Amino acid sequence: MVENTQAISGEENGVTKKKIVLDRKDVKRAFWRWTFFSHANYNYERLQATGLIYALKPVLVKLYGDNPEAMKEALQRHMAFFNTEPHFGGVIHGIVIAMEEEKANGAPITTEAINGVKTGLMGPFAGVGDTLWQGTLVPILLAIGISLGIQGNLMGPLLYMVLLGVIMLTLAYNIWMKGYEVGSMGIQKIMGGKMLKSIIMGASILGAMTLGALSASFVTVTCPYVINIGEFQLALQTQVFDAILKGMLPLGTTFGTYYLLKKKKMKGTTVLFLLFVLAFTLGMLGILG
Amino acid sequence: MEISLFQAFLIGVVYYLGEVGTPWLTLLFSFTGLYRPLIGGTIVGFILGDPVQGCIIGATINLPYIAFINAGGTSPSNPGLAGTLGTALAMAAGVSPAVAISIAIPLGLLGTIIWIAHMSIDVIFVHVCDKAAAEGDINRLCFWHVWPPQIVMAIICIIPVTIGAFYGAGAVTDIIANMPERVLTALTVVGGVLPALGIAMNLRAINREGTLLFFVTGFFLVQYVNLPIIAIAIFAGVIAYVYTKLFMNAEEA
Repeated sequence: MVENTQAISGEENGVTKKKIVLDRKDVKRAFWRWTFFSHANYNYERLQATGLIYALKPVLVKLYGDNPEAMKEALQRHMAFFNTEPHFGGVIHGIVIAMEEEKANGAPITTEAINGVKTGLMGPFAGVGDTLWQGTLVPILLAIGISLGIQGNLMGPLLYMVLLGVIMLTLAYNIWMKGYEVGSMGIQKIMGGKMLKSIIMGASILGAMTLGALSASFVTVTCPYVINIGEFQLALQTQVFDAILKGMLPLGTTFGTYYLLKKKKMKGTTVLFLLFVLAFTLGMLGILG
Repeated sequence: MEISLFQAFLIGVVYYLGEVGTPWLTLLFSFTGLYRPLIGGTIVGFILGDPVQGCIIGATINLPYIAFINAGGTSPSNPGLAGTLGTALAMAAGVSPAVAISIAIPLGLLGTIIWIAHMSIDVIFVHVCDKAAAEGDINRLCFWHVWPPQIVMAIICIIPVTIGAFYGAGAVTDIIANMPERVLTALTVVGGVLPALGIAMNLRAINREGTLLFFVTGFFLVQYVNLPIIAIAIFAGVIAYVYTKLFMNAEEA
């Protein structure tokens, strides 16, 4: 077992310098602290800022524990606004830990450099992470779990939870450790190269196609309205809508909702109330059902 | 079915444990675990002595929230409350799963208040953390990150749900009994439309040109070819890989 704090004495320009080395255990501990407590104080002003500090505590204590001034600086540095997708975004934490380690050992890394990495990467990784986690994996596994659960099969919820837990924790742990391994050197690789661009593009295609399938399977909008003109009867759903384009009402509803969010820049809650009122009214009138 | 005070309290605790920001189960097993009616409903079923019925009702209530997304601090609904209290009240009132959706959807709307409350109150604790940071006191900062927000969260989650589960069942039974058939149908319509919101919010989060083409492809593969979602996800993965590879190579050339 490696000792917690390694004091390596090296001769540098005749001055003995103490090198503080983190071991993997510290990085792992930070991962688990983040996994549990990332959102314990989630708030409108700075979202995950204090969650990141809470996670990094073992690292910061080891690096700056006997240097109050440096500790103060580090804490104030990380009190800045921070928000990303907590599993895929863990690569940022890994990199930040590596940067803090170098900084504590005298590397010329500024507060701006560390915050630059955080703010530069948190957006793209939130996008990729949310698409893959909330937009793709969770709905797919839920669709499977619900189809079993709705028939009273308890394997539905169990399967959903086990699969999701295993897949996400494995991903999150490895992404976090990878971030620490590549460290500040890896940022250029991630930001500059085509890696991040490829990941974002691939994730958005996978996500969009899955969401299309979900929309077709789960958005239910049907029109039972029948127009009576004398002897002539016209069932709108089967004789008009289905004849033109199968699923045109659910597709139209989804696109309409997307239009309000994206082009009209409406808040999710506002759109929710609009949808609620509209669907409820049309349901009461018997136009939808 | 009667819900005892103790059972009502347990349901409140289940709701608290699943709420976004409760650390005890990890975000994974709370926000994408107990917070989902499929899971929350099953656990409530266990508490009320009929996990299978809880699972059926929970799975049904989960349908409108299939693609639910909480991103950037905005949450347009509260599936956690819909899944726990909704399942409890539906089981107590002995209604069908379809009617359970009608009970759960208004609860999901109402539950947004709990989200807004804790996201606002927690701002206070950030400022206390600022002071601790200025003094370089990491222990105090970590204390304020966990305990005060969790005490607030436990209070605003457990108390309303306990009261709702204990006193709500009778009220719900009366309301459902006196409700015109048409209102229940209209609420079912709402339930059918709601998944569109989660899906559209996810699409907005992706926010890339050309994604709608892939969306439409996935949509019509279900409508006309009737492929199951898992099959489409697999094809989507392959297409995403090939497309990205070709695109990147073309750009390099």
